[in-house]
Amino acid sequence: METTSDSRPAGKTILVVDDEFGVLEVVEYILADLGYAVVSAINGRAALARIKEIKPDLIVLDFMMPVMDGAEFLKALREDPACREIPVIMTSALPEKNIKEKCSGFDIFLRKPYKYEHLIEAIEALLGKPVKKQEE
Amino acid sequence: MPHNKRMSNKSEALERIPSGVMGLDEVLEGGFIKGGLYIIEGAPGTGKTVLGNQICFHQIKSGKVVLYVTLIAETVARMLLNLRAMNFFDEGAIGNGIVYVSGFSALKNEGLRGLLHLLRREVLARRVSIVVLDGFAAASDAASSAEDLKVFVQQLQIQADSADATVFLLTNPIESSPSSEETMVDGIISLSSTVHGSSSLRELYVRKLRGSSYLEGVHNYKIVQEGLVIYPRLEKRVGRAPRDNGELERVTSGVPRLDVMVGGGLPRRSMTMLVGPSGTGKTTFGLQFLSRATAAEPGLFFGFYETPARIRTKSRSFTTLSQALDSGAVEMMWQAPTEWLLDELADNLLKAVRQRKVRRLFIDGLGGFRKALRSRAIEPFFAALVEELRGEGVTTVCTAEVAEIIGPTMSTGMSDITDNHILMRFIEAGAALYRIISVLKVRDSSFDSGLRQFSITEEGIEIAEDSRGAELVLSSVAARARQPEIAVSR
Repeated sequence: METTSDSRPAGKTILVVDDEFGVLEVVEYILADLGYAVVSAINGRAALARIKEIKPDLIVLDFMMPVMDGAEFLKALREDPACREIPVIMTSALPEKNIKEKCSGFDIFLRKPYKYEHLIEAIEALLGKPVKKQEE
Repeated sequence: MPHNKRMSNKSEALERIPSGVMGLDEVLEGGFIKGGLYIIEGAPGTGKTVLGNQICFHQIKSGKVVLYVTLIAETVARMLLNLRAMNFFDEGAIGNGIVYVSGFSALKNEGLRGLLHLLRREVLARRVSIVVLDGFAAASDAASSAEDLKVFVQQLQIQADSADATVFLLTNPIESSPSSEETMVDGIISLSSTVHGSSSLRELYVRKLRGSSYLEGVHNYKIVQEGLVIYPRLEKRVGRAPRDNGELERVTSGVPRLDVMVGGGLPRRSMTMLVGPSGTGKTTFGLQFLSRATAAEPGLFFGFYETPARIRTKSRSFTTLSQALDSGAVEMMWQAPTEWLLDELADNLLKAVRQRKVRRLFIDGLGGFRKALRSRAIEPFFAALVEELRGEGVTTVCTAEVAEIIGPTMSTGMSDITDNHILMRFIEAGAALYRIISVLKVRDSSFDSGLRQFSITEEGIEIAEDSRGAELVLSSVAARARQPEIAVSR
């Protein structure tokens, strides 16, 4: 069973796809705090299964993952007319040139380990500033 | 049937997976056995992750595909960042020959079954030859019982068999012995690091290896830019069959009168220990021995105290040594006074001896080996070294310093290991210091055991023609000893 998780929706929705549990938790926490609705998936196949349902505004996608890696996922995404315009931030421990040899179609690349300010800058460059969620 | 592959015909040699780690395949007597399941255990900081990655990067050079699955707290990105400094690290290979994935989510969400499922899928989909599971302790902790863990290990073994993959489990030291996983795997390699004085000493030990003999006991290693470098214990590397052909040929020591004293020169392939306090001329003697090296009989200076530049300065008045150095007949190797491992020194020395086909070796001196990092007595090591050098056809002179400046007895503890023993000492007589040389032992040969006076001149050591000079010196010492003390009164 491949898992995903949701936080309470408010503002733009970001799908975070990464096989590393620790990375998912931290990114989800930071982005939710900024007002994004965050959905996570631990591999490309799990993410594809959720995309039509949640319709993310942006995808933060890890390259090296089991089951379906970032390259395969991106190819499937761009082949789907309903999804091909979703902006993608590709992340990897590998340098950008290695990633570009294997796939294209992502908008911004962030090399791991990245500072979270850089992730936020990249998201804001693609989506604009977030809408802060209402205080309870 | 995958299981039948493990029950190989006795006449078939088991296929080996070379580790690519210097010294490790020698310890394993050929490398890991293909299709096996191995544990590499060690406390944090002992080099398990480096070793696991070294094996992986070596395998991909021959076109194999490797899967590295992490269950550890360190992210893949952080691990790769730390590995970038290593020479074996090839960034271009990542994502091609070597794939890194995290198994932690699968383990957390679905337990051992989920992890097994992930491994099965990835191994088959990517046609993987090597699997590394880093952080096996997390899998052990996730097991609901010892039985649960046994089933996991067994299924892992079956999966590896069916894919013809070799699996390495990296884990912390196994606390309760024997544990489930210990009894089921094909091999266990232990890594450890202990503090010795103000240094740390790393040790590798093969606890178990099915299907193969291996070099038993502890072997030291270092973690350097090449990754782990293992130095197999010399005593284990030395062949058991004697390699001495029993020849009785002699070679000149470079000191003509000493050649006469020892019965016509030093026996070829022998080890001669020059014992004496600092300043008696041991190094000078050794350099004279080396000065007789030629292109056909190359020489090697292996020293710890004096740098090659200082030796060159010393040799300016030694015409023959200068010529030998200039012609390349003599090479100098200086081991800087840093933290060497004992077997590392032996490795450096024997490599140079074999590469240059050295026939005359001067080791200056035994103390350099004594000061090396080690967790065992030096005598068995030195006996093994003497045997190896003899087998390589090398005639060796080695110096050993003793603390006593003046005295009748000086011991190195090596007299039964070395073939020939020469004592150089000071005798105090009146207000003068005299140098005396004597031969204490020449294996299987008669020799002149008389004491002789000697001096150090610009041409090197010059020994007196006979013992008369030494007798006069020693007589005057004896006479003084018999004189009554003269009391000094006010």
